[in-house]
Amino acid sequence: MRSFLTKRMIQTLVVLVGVSLITFFMMNLAPGDPFMMDPEMRMNPEAVARWKELRQLDRPLHEQYYSWLVNLLKGDFGISLIHNRPVLELITERLPATLLLTGTSLLVALLFAVPLGILSAVKQGTFLDKWISFFTLCGVSLPNFWLGMLLILLFAYHLNWLPASSLRTVGVAASFYDYIKHLILPVVVLSTGSAAYYIRYIRAGILEVIGQDYILTARAKGLKESTVLFRHILRNSMIPVVTVVSLSLPFLFTGAMVTEYVFSWPGMGRWIIMATLSRDYPSVLAVNVIVAALVVLCNLGADLLYAYFDPRIKYR
Amino acid sequence: MARKIFLLLLALMLMLSVLGCTPEESPQEQLRVASLGSPVNLNPLFIRDNFSFEVVSLVHASLITFNNETLEVEPSLVKEWSVEDEGRTYVLNFNDNAKWTDGTPLTAEDAAFTLRVICHPDFTGYQYALFFNAITGSQDYHSNHNSPLADGSIEGIEVIDENTLKISLDRQMAPFLTYLNFFPLPAHIFGDVPVAEMEAHDYSRNPEVTAGPYILNQWVTDEYLYFVSNPDFFLGQPEIDEIYFRIIPNQEAQLIELINGDLDLIPTAVKLEDVEELEKNPNIKIYSNLRLVYDYLGFNMHNPESPLYNKEVRQALSMVLDREALVRDILLDYGRVAYGPLTPLHFPFDENFQAYFVDKQKALELLKDAGYDEGFELRLILNAGNEVRENAALMFKEAAEAIGVEVTIQTLEWQAYMEAAMQGDFDVIISGQGSDPDPDLTFNWHSQSPLNELGYVNEEVDSLIEEAAVALEQAERTMLYREAQEMIVDDAPMVWLYYREAVHGASDRLMNFKPHPNNVFYQVHLWKFK
Repeated sequence: MRSFLTKRMIQTLVVLVGVSLITFFMMNLAPGDPFMMDPEMRMNPEAVARWKELRQLDRPLHEQYYSWLVNLLKGDFGISLIHNRPVLELITERLPATLLLTGTSLLVALLFAVPLGILSAVKQGTFLDKWISFFTLCGVSLPNFWLGMLLILLFAYHLNWLPASSLRTVGVAASFYDYIKHLILPVVVLSTGSAAYYIRYIRAGILEVIGQDYILTARAKGLKESTVLFRHILRNSMIPVVTVVSLSLPFLFTGAMVTEYVFSWPGMGRWIIMATLSRDYPSVLAVNVIVAALVVLCNLGADLLYAYFDPRIKYR
Repeated sequence: MARKIFLLLLALMLMLSVLGCTPEESPQEQLRVASLGSPVNLNPLFIRDNFSFEVVSLVHASLITFNNETLEVEPSLVKEWSVEDEGRTYVLNFNDNAKWTDGTPLTAEDAAFTLRVICHPDFTGYQYALFFNAITGSQDYHSNHNSPLADGSIEGIEVIDENTLKISLDRQMAPFLTYLNFFPLPAHIFGDVPVAEMEAHDYSRNPEVTAGPYILNQWVTDEYLYFVSNPDFFLGQPEIDEIYFRIIPNQEAQLIELINGDLDLIPTAVKLEDVEELEKNPNIKIYSNLRLVYDYLGFNMHNPESPLYNKEVRQALSMVLDREALVRDILLDYGRVAYGPLTPLHFPFDENFQAYFVDKQKALELLKDAGYDEGFELRLILNAGNEVRENAALMFKEAAEAIGVEVTIQTLEWQAYMEAAMQGDFDVIISGQGSDPDPDLTFNWHSQSPLNELGYVNEEVDSLIEEAAVALEQAERTMLYREAQEMIVDDAPMVWLYYREAVHGASDRLMNFKPHPNNVFYQVHLWKFK
C-alpha cells in the first residue's frame, strides 16, 4: 500500500508540473495580451511597456515560468494581472458561493439518484422504470442554459415566486430562508443533469450485479429482500458510481460556468471565464493546477474506495 | 403511481408559492442599479473598464464635467476658470466647501498632486501622453524625475493658494479644459505611496477617502456594491440615501428583475428587442441617448498591393451597404446612420457634406476605373458576441458580392481580434471608435496616432487637425474640422455605419435621471424617487 501511495504521489507531481507547463505556454502563445482588455492603453505604448515591466512580463517566458514555480512551492499563486491582488485571495472570495451551489447540487442529485436508480433497476421494465428512464433521458439532453432560462421565465417572471439572479436579496437582512429561495432554481438546473447521469450508472451497476450467482444464493438462503439489496447488490454495484462521483468532485471547485452566468451566481465560474478572456495568466494557471491536483487526489480516493467496496481489489 | 407523482409536484408547487409570497420589500430610499459586470479597480487613475468607471463616478468627484445635451464644460470641483496668455494658461478656482470623507479639505494641491502622478515616469495610464504632456515642465518631470513618489514639482503646475491652481502650457491646446475631467486623488493618502504601487494599493479595493456623492460601504465580490450618500458632498447631500450596484451578467435576468420591481435602473444595457414590451409596462420608463461612439467598417490601407490601397475601390465599397436598412432593421431605429467622423453631439457636426449613399452602378464604374472589374477577395474580421456587428458583416458581405467582391467573414474572440487589429492582419475590420466630448480628431485620424491601425495617411488632414487643435475660437475650429471631415470622407478609409443609442430602463418612480453620453451617474445627487 505504501509503495502504491508513493508511486501515486510521484505521478501527481509529474502531472501537476506538466499541467502547469502546458497551461503556461499555451496561454502565452495564444493571441492577445492582458493589457488589451483596456484598448485605450494602445494609445501610450510607453505606458504599456512600463505596465509589463512592473509585472515582469517583459522577461523571457522560461524565466517567468521558473519564477512562478518557485513561488508556488512557497504557497504563493502570484498576483492577478487584472485585479492586482493575490490570486489566492480572489479564489477564496468566490469559492464559498461556488461550493454552496455545487455542493448542494451534488447532494440533491445523489439524494434523488440513489433511490431512483435502485427503483429503476429493481422494477426493471415496469411503468416506473420507463418513467424514470424518460426523466433521465430528458435530464441528460436538456442544456443547462436552456433549462435555466425556462425556469427563470416560469418561476421568476410569470409566477414571480423565486428570484431570477444572485444568491441573496440585497438590502434586506440575510436569512437562511432567503438563501434557500435563491438556491432552488440553480440547484434544480445543476442537479437535473447530474442526477440523470447517476441514475443511469446506478441502474446499470445494479442490473449487472442482480443476475450474479451469489445474489441467487443469498436469496436461496432465505435472506430478506432488503438485506440482499443493500448488503449484496448495492455495495457491489457501487464501483462505477464511485468513479463517476469522484471524477465530478474537482468540478465542485471550478463551479458551473453556464449556470453561474444564467443565475448571476457570484462564484468561480464567471471569474475563470473572465480570467481566461483577459489573459490573466497567474489566475488561469492557479485554477488549472488546483483542478489538476483535485482530479489526481479524487482519483486516488476512488481507487482506495474500490478496495473498500470490492475486497478482491488489492494495491501493492 | 402517476397520482402520487402528481401530488408530489403539487406539494412542491405549493411550497414554492409560499416561499415566493413572503414580502421582502426594500425601503423606498434605496436605488438598485444593474450592471453586467464587476468593477476591478476604484482608483480613478487606473480605470481600465466601463464597470469600474461607473462606480468611480459615484464615489469620486471630477474637476469639471460636461452637460448631458450640449457637452459644454460645466463646473464641478472647479467652480470657475479663466483662460489667459492666449490659451497657454488656465487658472482654476476650486469650490471651498469640497472635502474628503475623512474631513480633510479637498484643495488645489490634491489636483496638482494627481497631475504629478499622471506625469510620473512610473504611471501606466495613457493620460500623460494624450492629455498632459503640453504642461510646461511635464516632459522634464516625466523623463528625469528620480523619486518613486509623485513629489517635487512641475514648472507649469502652480498652487496659488488652497483654492487656486494655475496650469501653464508650453503650447496652445484648444481642448485642454475638457482634459480636466479627471478625478483627483487625496494627496494626504497617496503622498507616501510610490506611483508604481498605486494600482495595487488597497485603495483600489477600499477607497475609504473619497469626495463624491456616495461613499462605498460594502463590496461583496461579483455580487453587489453598497453605497451610502455622502452628507458632506460639496453639491449637497444626495436625495437617495443608498445605492445597490448589483452585478447581474444575464440581461434577461436584469429585465425580469426590473419588471418585478427588484431593480430600479438598467443603465445602457436594455436589449433593443425588449424595448417595445417594456414600453407597455406603466411602471417602467425607457430612456435613450446618443453616445460619443460609432461603429465602422474599416479598410486596411497598409499594403500597396491590396485593392484597398486604391481610393476608388474604397469609394466603391462605401456605396454598397444600405445603412438605413441596418439602422431600421437591426438597431430598430435606436441609432442614426453615420456618414463621417464627427458625431452629432460634437459642435462642428454638420450633415451637409458629400457622403456616400447606395449606388451600385456608380460602384461598378469605380471598380472598373480602378481596374478591378474582375472582382477580388477580402477577409473581414469582427469580435464575437456583438450581434449588431455580426448582422452588419453579413449585410456587407451580401452587398459587396453584388459588385463582384467576395468577402470572407471571420469572427474572433476579443484578444485574438485585438491582436489582429493591432498587427493589421485583416482586409476589412468592423470596430468601434469613441471620442472625447471635444471633437479633436487627432487620436483617431492623425497619421502619427498610435490608434491609426488602418494606416490612413493624408498630410492635409494632419495639418487641418493640428491647426484645429490650437485654434481657440470655436467658429474657426468648426470650419477646420468640417474641412477635415470632408477630406477624410472623400478618402473613404472606412464605411461609417451607425451611432448606436444607449437604451436605459428605469422604474417610473425614479426622477431626474438624465442620460449622459459618457456618465451613467450624471448629477446623481439630484436623483430622487416619486
